[in-house]
Amino acid sequence: MSHANFTGLRWGKQVDVFSGSKHESDAKEFDTRGVTLAATKG
Amino acid sequence: MVLEVVASKVDREQLRDQIEAKYCDVAKKPEQGFHFHTGRPLAAMLEYPEADVNALPESTIESFAGTGNPFLLGKLHEGEAVLDIGCGAGFDTLQAAKQVGPTGHVIALDMTEAMLEKTRLGAETLGLTNIDAKLGYAEELPADDGSIDVVISNGVINLTPDKMTVMQEVYRIIKPGGRFQIADIVVQKPVDQDAKDDIDLWSG
Repeated sequence: MSHANFTGLRWGKQVDVFSGSKHESDAKEFDTRGVTLAATKG
Repeated sequence: MVLEVVASKVDREQLRDQIEAKYCDVAKKPEQGFHFHTGRPLAAMLEYPEADVNALPESTIESFAGTGNPFLLGKLHEGEAVLDIGCGAGFDTLQAAKQVGPTGHVIALDMTEAMLEKTRLGAETLGLTNIDAKLGYAEELPADDGSIDVVISNGVINLTPDKMTVMQEVYRIIKPGGRFQIADIVVQKPVDQDAKDDIDLWSG
């Protein structure tokens, strides 16, 4: 986002969104997380 | 935390075909089960208020496949123009349309016609007339320069091989002072080239 000139980047919660799913092992291998994030066009 | 811009050799058209087939199944056969969570249990995991979820049609809820709740970073305001990249069955689109009200509007973009049909059906069921569901891709957003107050997206940009083009497109269409408010996935460990080039890992 910052490389595209957005500013004020805010990270929200991280969620282990693949926990308990069939994708869990692949997701764990890369420490994959669901995240929320927001930024502003200055 | 590093959000890696992945350089991959995956063929973009092949990837689009594979993703479209996968999400056509999520739209038409949500009960079959996937390699990721879907539906009501996922919405609860991502902290969508139960009342907001219950206010949506069941056909919308059952095909929800997001990775977070973009509204946790702020609700939308009445009258705002919104674009939802990869709207799917309309889970966030319908909520956004309610938040911006009749003086606002939502462009709901998806590459899967089966998902767009569910978004249109959901809008009709709820009597929402401020949604314009459009077929298209995240790399070519259907909006004029500086015309959108808020771009939302949920679990979609990770599926695009050229993320910088998507970011630049979003920047192009947002008004000065507008917001880009998304949920997606990040990897916190290095991804080796073989994994980057494995199309099955991209589409799940």
